[in-house]
Amino acid sequence: MKARATPQVSNVPSYCYNCVAGPDLLTVKVVDGVATQILPNFAAADIHPGNGRICVRALGLIQKTYNPNRLRTPMKRTNPHKGRAEDPGFVPISWDEALDTIASRLIAVRALGLTDEAGLPRVAASFGHGGTPQSYMGTFPAFLSAWGPVDFSFGSGQGVKCVHSEHLYGEFWHRGFTVSADTVSSRYIVSFGANVEVSAGVCAVRRHADARVRGIKRVQIEPHLSVTAAASAEWVPIKPKTDAAFMFAMLHVLLHEHPRERLDVAFLRDRTASPYLVGPNGYYLREPQSRKPLIWDGGRSAAVPFDMAGAAAALEGNFTVEDCVEIGPDRTTWRHQRATGATAFTRLVEHMRPHSPEWAAPICDVPAATVRRVANEYLDNACVGETIEIGGSVLPLRPVAVVLGKTVNNGWGGYECCWARTMLAVLVGALEVPGGTLGSTTRLNKPLGNRLASVKPGEDGFMAANFNPTDRAHWAARPTGRNAHRTLVPLVGDSAWAQALGPTHLAWMFLKEVPNHWQRPSAPDVWFVFRSNPAISFWDSGRMVETMANMPFVVAFAYTFDETNHMADILLPEATDLEGMQLIRIGGTKFVEQYWEHQGVALRQPAVAPRGDARDFTWISTELARRCGILEPYNTAINRGAGCVPLKGSNYDFSLDPSRVHAVEEIWDAECKAATAQFSNGAESKDLAWFKQHGFYTVPYKRSDWYLYPAMVEKNLRFELPYQERLFKAGRELAHRLHEHDIHWWDAQLEEYAPLPLWDDVPARWERALRKMGGDPAAYPLWLITTKSMQYSAGNNVGIPLMNEVAGNMRGHGGVILNVVTAKHLGIRQGDPVEVRSMTGSTRGNAVLIEGIRPDTVVIIGQFDHWKTPYAKDLHYPSLNTVAPLSLDLTDSTGSGSDLVRVSVRASTQP
Amino acid sequence: MTRHVMVADLRRCIGCQTCTAACKQANATPPGVQWRRVLDLEVGEYPNVRRVFVPTGCQHCADPPCEKVCPTTATRRRPDGIVEIRYDLCIGCSACMLACPYDARYKTERREYGFGEKPTEDEAMRADDSLLGVATKCNFCADTVDAGVARGLTPGEDPEATPACVNSCISGALVFGDIDDPKSGVSKLLDENKHFRMHEDLGTDPGFYYVWDQDLP
Repeated sequence: MKARATPQVSNVPSYCYNCVAGPDLLTVKVVDGVATQILPNFAAADIHPGNGRICVRALGLIQKTYNPNRLRTPMKRTNPHKGRAEDPGFVPISWDEALDTIASRLIAVRALGLTDEAGLPRVAASFGHGGTPQSYMGTFPAFLSAWGPVDFSFGSGQGVKCVHSEHLYGEFWHRGFTVSADTVSSRYIVSFGANVEVSAGVCAVRRHADARVRGIKRVQIEPHLSVTAAASAEWVPIKPKTDAAFMFAMLHVLLHEHPRERLDVAFLRDRTASPYLVGPNGYYLREPQSRKPLIWDGGRSAAVPFDMAGAAAALEGNFTVEDCVEIGPDRTTWRHQRATGATAFTRLVEHMRPHSPEWAAPICDVPAATVRRVANEYLDNACVGETIEIGGSVLPLRPVAVVLGKTVNNGWGGYECCWARTMLAVLVGALEVPGGTLGSTTRLNKPLGNRLASVKPGEDGFMAANFNPTDRAHWAARPTGRNAHRTLVPLVGDSAWAQALGPTHLAWMFLKEVPNHWQRPSAPDVWFVFRSNPAISFWDSGRMVETMANMPFVVAFAYTFDETNHMADILLPEATDLEGMQLIRIGGTKFVEQYWEHQGVALRQPAVAPRGDARDFTWISTELARRCGILEPYNTAINRGAGCVPLKGSNYDFSLDPSRVHAVEEIWDAECKAATAQFSNGAESKDLAWFKQHGFYTVPYKRSDWYLYPAMVEKNLRFELPYQERLFKAGRELAHRLHEHDIHWWDAQLEEYAPLPLWDDVPARWERALRKMGGDPAAYPLWLITTKSMQYSAGNNVGIPLMNEVAGNMRGHGGVILNVVTAKHLGIRQGDPVEVRSMTGSTRGNAVLIEGIRPDTVVIIGQFDHWKTPYAKDLHYPSLNTVAPLSLDLTDSTGSGSDLVRVSVRASTQP
Repeated sequence: MTRHVMVADLRRCIGCQTCTAACKQANATPPGVQWRRVLDLEVGEYPNVRRVFVPTGCQHCADPPCEKVCPTTATRRRPDGIVEIRYDLCIGCSACMLACPYDARYKTERREYGFGEKPTEDEAMRADDSLLGVATKCNFCADTVDAGVARGLTPGEDPEATPACVNSCISGALVFGDIDDPKSGVSKLLDENKHFRMHEDLGTDPGFYYVWDQDLP
């Protein structure tokens, strides 16, 4: 027998950041050059909130690497006709031909001008899931930065698949791009559909598991019994999209059924706008000279500016104020010699008076006693008055939180839900303090990712807000991107991320048809796509594909063929997860439940050689920059920090020579050295070789920096709640601007700008939209919703058999989930093929009959219905996206929509 | 004495299937073979419904029915409690599969791969024909445990002496160790919490415990 040589085994540290809940730090076991296992990086156990463990999706990276369906060479399209039914005729080409083709196109575009006649960027780019592709695209951000204006308007699901309204309102009110419970200190969490056990990654799973063992109570309120509901103390099945009514009733209980001292009166008085006096026109009463909002000083029995030292601010009451002004939209000013002002808190109390649990019960289809009990339990656990010491600082302890899931916190009703959730925290002083409701990171306010540093004084005693201007002189009447984020959504601002958080489906819709008095945008001359498959991940996927087919030149970084790159002109296979190199930031506070006590950087490195002729993304980026003649600005962008960190700081300098081409390892070696120098304040500098061995570098991050409250106190700022004067004013100004241009198709969205959100029977909006499309709601009696699964949090791993196999252990995977009694009425048995039909389409799957779902609700997990992606297309799994309409009527004022469709379900003769 | 056991804390498990995938990768099992898997169970009627996730697999019984029916002694219980199959002795009669009350055993007759007929590079490297036509099941990653113990490591504490499913478990639900050691993690966990074993009434004395503190509807 032939003796077998001793295998060469190595364990290569790396990371997985395939969803926003990462990154997870891992090691790749490599045997004789072949990756065989993905393991946790146990060295990270002490610095990672999830005990250094990795999520199930990371284990799919072996099959992802060796997937026989991978594209191994660049390819070009030979069929100029595009469409689902067209064979693109892709043929292999060399990298030189591919890159020269792209470069020549880009150079020609540059010669025409970086923007078109309408001022829209001629180059567009779409990246998938929550910015995570950036952890795989090397220095491509530096290429885009060097290029100039790029339109990120074309969403791959943003707005309809993210927690969109929460992004915007969360950042506005408490720098919470995403919002989480402070799980590690909390005692009672009310969760409206936040399915954190599957969507918030390893950190959330571990934090919540520890909390359950510790004795936390979580009440999960949602139409179906999700994984998170299973892991909760109680499941309350609520009618879809009525969550705001439940929360309004909780506010009612707190405000009308308990003595005021049960609330955190000091927090309300000193850290919110509750004492600000609201005038008869709905705007703050202000001192005529300083224009500062007025409060009622009980000591002086007079109205004084909100920042008057020593004032005894009245929290409640109506007061007569002499000589004051109100300032409305477009600086409309009302001068009052004598006006009655109610405190914002009094306005709130009156606003919530009708919304009792008895009012909410029939709306939510939840007993009033349940609503009242949850509210009372919330209050009982709030521990108003208690404190905790964290890192030497004494902070309030308010161990209660309310969290919201997708479809609750986006689309219509999102404003009401986000506001009510934040108000529930505010009433008991549980906003941004230990145990309470916290923001995670910033994306719309600068500096990006540093929420504490983003706390800067603004107007009226609040944090600075970053609204897009709505006054006549500065309003962007002409959109600067195809989704018109600056024009239509004041709240989203204009940060680097703002474009991608505009009404991204409008960019797609307007390419096809435009509403009245709106200029049809051009299709971008060049569209880059990476880790994004909007043909599947957006709604009305059939229409999406038709629109995409009109894109004149599409460059897709392509792992396999898929439904979006079916329309591409050039396919570029990049060295993927286990093959490429990149340094990223880790730790601090990030999306969802990423609350670390460390921060630093982690390296992704080639554990195995790239398959075929796949190339490192940084090499591709450098070559594109060189061939386009923008090498110098590209290198300069890297030096500035576009790769990971600035290469030059106050006590280090690893800058690259801007004039020459740098090898991939040379770039990342500089990044490694610069990052470690930055994090160690110049004390040490670790090179690429060190990182290849150790994988990550961290320094401590203060836990007290998880909370915004100390920064608010230090800067003597107030949370901009409960009253929304600024939003109200912006909405009125926006209405003026649009109406001046005879634009009225955004009027429903403009109505959402209420200073105190109104309950408006949110589910009825879907019924009205259905009627408008010519349908009868009675013919579509069921509510179709979707939910994520741990194995498929994003769609970029649908081609991996291991994920499908293990996901198959979870009920409902790949099927249509129905209540057993509903199914019986419809004559549907377990496993029967069924058709789910909406006004705009149909999707098919096998029935999964369960008890843990409302009789009026249908659930389809994940995003499937593929017709091109290898492996996935043969699964024949259904998808909500196929039947959800892209609709202006179902778009809220932030530009988002909810994963919700009225459908019928019937037994299908087709499998 | 030593008896290696597994504890699944059902308060923690959320059915993520990371253990399932980790087991498959560690043991290079073919598609459909899951020595470790997590059941997704529902109890009750709407709206009084509970859903629980139950990791399962070979229960490493002290009195294993599979061992009794094995005609070749391929299945045997080791002194440390691990029930193993010596594949070179197994004739694939499947009697053990019928005898096992926990549906923990598998048999594969031919090579199968994730993407169809052809193996990927890692599958080609790791394919083991000695596992074809014989009964297979979880062995608590005995090779890892043995190698770790030989190096003086403690199973259940040191990753290099611990089954892959436990190493991978993100919620901390799976715990492994020596139940005969009162100071082990499993002993402490069981001492401090209500627990049960699956089909305990069958008298197999399983080495797989479930921590659970709630009543079901």
